[in-house]
Amino acid sequence: MNLDNDPFLKISNYIINPYIHKWQKNNKKNVGHYCTYIPEELLYAANLLPFRIRATGHEDTDLGDVYMVRFTCSFVRATLDMALRGIYDFLDGLFICNSCDHSRRMFELFDLKVFNREGFQKKVPRFYVSLPHVVTNEGFEWYKQEIKELKEEIENDYNINITNKNLLNSINIYNNNRSLLREIHKLRIQDAPKITGTEALQISMANSSVPKDIANQELERILNILKDSEGLKTDAKRVMLVGSEVDDINFTQLIENSGASIVSDFLCFGTRNFLDDVKLESGKNPLDQISKRLYYRMSCPRMMDDHQRRLDFIKDEVKRAKIDGIILQRINNCDLHGCDNMLFVHELKELDIPVFNIDREFFQADTTRLQTRIEAFIEMIT
Amino acid sequence: MLSSINQENRVIPLKMLSEALSTTDQLVKGILPENGIPALRIGVEKVNSVLKRYIEKAREGLPIVGYHFAIPPEYISCFDCVPICLEGTGYYLATMLLHGVEKYYDMMGNWGHPFHTCTAQKGAMGMSLDNLFQFDGIIIPTAPCDNTCASYPFFKYSKKFPLIIADMPFRKDEKSYKYYAEQIKNCLFQLGKVIGQEPDFEKMKEHLELENQVQKIRMEIFELTKAIPSPISNIYNAVSAGTFILISGTPENLSFYNEMLKIVKKRYKSKKHHGGEEKIRSIWPYMVTYFDMSLCEWLDRELGMSILFDIFNYNFAEPINTKSDLDTMFYDMAKKGMGWPMVKQSTDFYYPFIEDCLSMAKEFKADCFIFTQSIGCKQFGSIPKILRDALMEELGIPMLLIEFDVGDARVTSLKTMKEKISMFAQTLL
Repeated sequence: MNLDNDPFLKISNYIINPYIHKWQKNNKKNVGHYCTYIPEELLYAANLLPFRIRATGHEDTDLGDVYMVRFTCSFVRATLDMALRGIYDFLDGLFICNSCDHSRRMFELFDLKVFNREGFQKKVPRFYVSLPHVVTNEGFEWYKQEIKELKEEIENDYNINITNKNLLNSINIYNNNRSLLREIHKLRIQDAPKITGTEALQISMANSSVPKDIANQELERILNILKDSEGLKTDAKRVMLVGSEVDDINFTQLIENSGASIVSDFLCFGTRNFLDDVKLESGKNPLDQISKRLYYRMSCPRMMDDHQRRLDFIKDEVKRAKIDGIILQRINNCDLHGCDNMLFVHELKELDIPVFNIDREFFQADTTRLQTRIEAFIEMIT
Repeated sequence: MLSSINQENRVIPLKMLSEALSTTDQLVKGILPENGIPALRIGVEKVNSVLKRYIEKAREGLPIVGYHFAIPPEYISCFDCVPICLEGTGYYLATMLLHGVEKYYDMMGNWGHPFHTCTAQKGAMGMSLDNLFQFDGIIIPTAPCDNTCASYPFFKYSKKFPLIIADMPFRKDEKSYKYYAEQIKNCLFQLGKVIGQEPDFEKMKEHLELENQVQKIRMEIFELTKAIPSPISNIYNAVSAGTFILISGTPENLSFYNEMLKIVKKRYKSKKHHGGEEKIRSIWPYMVTYFDMSLCEWLDRELGMSILFDIFNYNFAEPINTKSDLDTMFYDMAKKGMGWPMVKQSTDFYYPFIEDCLSMAKEFKADCFIFTQSIGCKQFGSIPKILRDALMEELGIPMLLIEFDVGDARVTSLKTMKEKISMFAQTLL
């Protein structure tokens, strides 16, 4: 048995899924966010269904291009395009933080152009979190306060009360979720991987689109399937995929169809999101613990003083997952990943494994050129 | 101990810039009449005077401190050091050198710096890669943009220059000012440790006070720009931006603005326009070109188009209180830093920026806006259409959008820019 037609993985192909409909039918709210620095545990504790905004399968940016110049990220432009076409009308709230210059401007563009467009009646609250750009104790105090204020805003806007009990319950569900993802990851990095990189990405995307208690049931089911499976018999080269947001399996398939197996990654729809848990310690405020985990976890390049830790993780993972080659990629105009990758290229030379650095558009464009380059890289790996 | 020439060679780009400014100075003084392009003449003289002093200090072996343009340079005047603005030096060289600094952009491009990153940093990065800079420390804020956060780690991880980071919140409120005030103070102490000096805040106060005076004069010039025709020349904006980030906090900077004010007042009284006749009054809410400042003169003289101000010339800070305690002073410094051109707009939502543009358009009787969207400035990448709609709907004022690179002539050439602006101007006249 494999995951080819698994219903849970199929959720990743679409934006809307039956669980969102069911959530709505129960008079509960769906809320969207772009970035993993938004505390999902808090939202879930507030009985809100957090949906990580993505642009899976969307290849047009025509409407988005009207409002965002060509030097901006085609992923964010694609999500704006979808929103302008009404695809994200199911959202009852939007959570933005200053993750990057592209996504943080969605606060204004959704306000002025998406939620204000003709015929759209719903009042959609928006929330903003100012996230420090460094990992320091003072920065943590700032972030902790931001999250406290966010909790109050959520309570006011949705007229609810978020108790510590709600938070603890949510933390347990999310910790369990991350633990299951880590278990699946272990099966991915073993000598005969039991899951492809594309399937791992699908699991991650589906996981970010449904209520976590449902996701946990599904992940347990998948884990059982994988444990019993034989593992992939393949001579494919073992690569690690690093860099900008990936939520389109066309890209991972392109790599895996070129003779590689993506056995690990350093992506926000990937390992970076499940490496650690919220620590539950008696006497500690659960909301502060949520903030602590989020702030101090493995960062993305928007944290400008934390490059060394990211590099160390990649180096360790190369050993752990027996990586043959690393693919660094960035969506064009992503300065953050572009510069982080630039440093990685030079620093990873000491590992003496091939490193490939490419730029791409969010949607699958220029496929032949990309495929040729990836195939050439895979051939290079001895 | 390094020899004096080796000490001086830690700041080769500064020497290159000083030499280029000396040449320009000679040309301007030798060829142009006294009233030729006074902003350029005075600006070049003042900036070069400061640079020569810095080069002398480098020769004496004082520490070389790089700073990001969004750290007002008077903030590091508490140290006896050679302060170098990385963005300002790169862009001033881009405009002063005959072939710009594209060579250094390409050097960094070959090293892996993505093509879409900001040339403001790329130039100084390339120069550092070529070992033309040897910094003892670099101090930066985490604003205004992704490029700042993305590019500066190169100096730390690749060049091993100590990088001191003042985290700036992307919010504007009391708690943000207090947080940033602490960040600035801590960073100055950190920088002091790195370069082996104690910060001398009494000395810094003198420089802050100089800038308090400069702010008053700049505001006066800004007010006079409401006059028709505009009493400032277009190139004043570019030169002022340069002095603002390169020599702020020095007596030369104060002297530059004092002299400019006299000239502006004279023009105001005589209702004379620098280019002859003012036909179009434009506001450039973002930046003017730095790869070739001659565009400013061409607009004045050929098109009769005044640039009333660019982003470096319409943001003013409250004076810093130097008479009270240190906490108050740092609080004011934080407010000023967070209101710094580009930082102010980039760390806030778009709403106040649009409001500012609308009210300035009315007050200054602007005929049009020209929005230059530079390739590196992603933080502004989703404003042009919103601003254009707001200007047209509320005031009936058109806006031209030009996508370019502030410091690289190859992205959108001067010729292309002139053509675009000419065609746009035809629709206005």
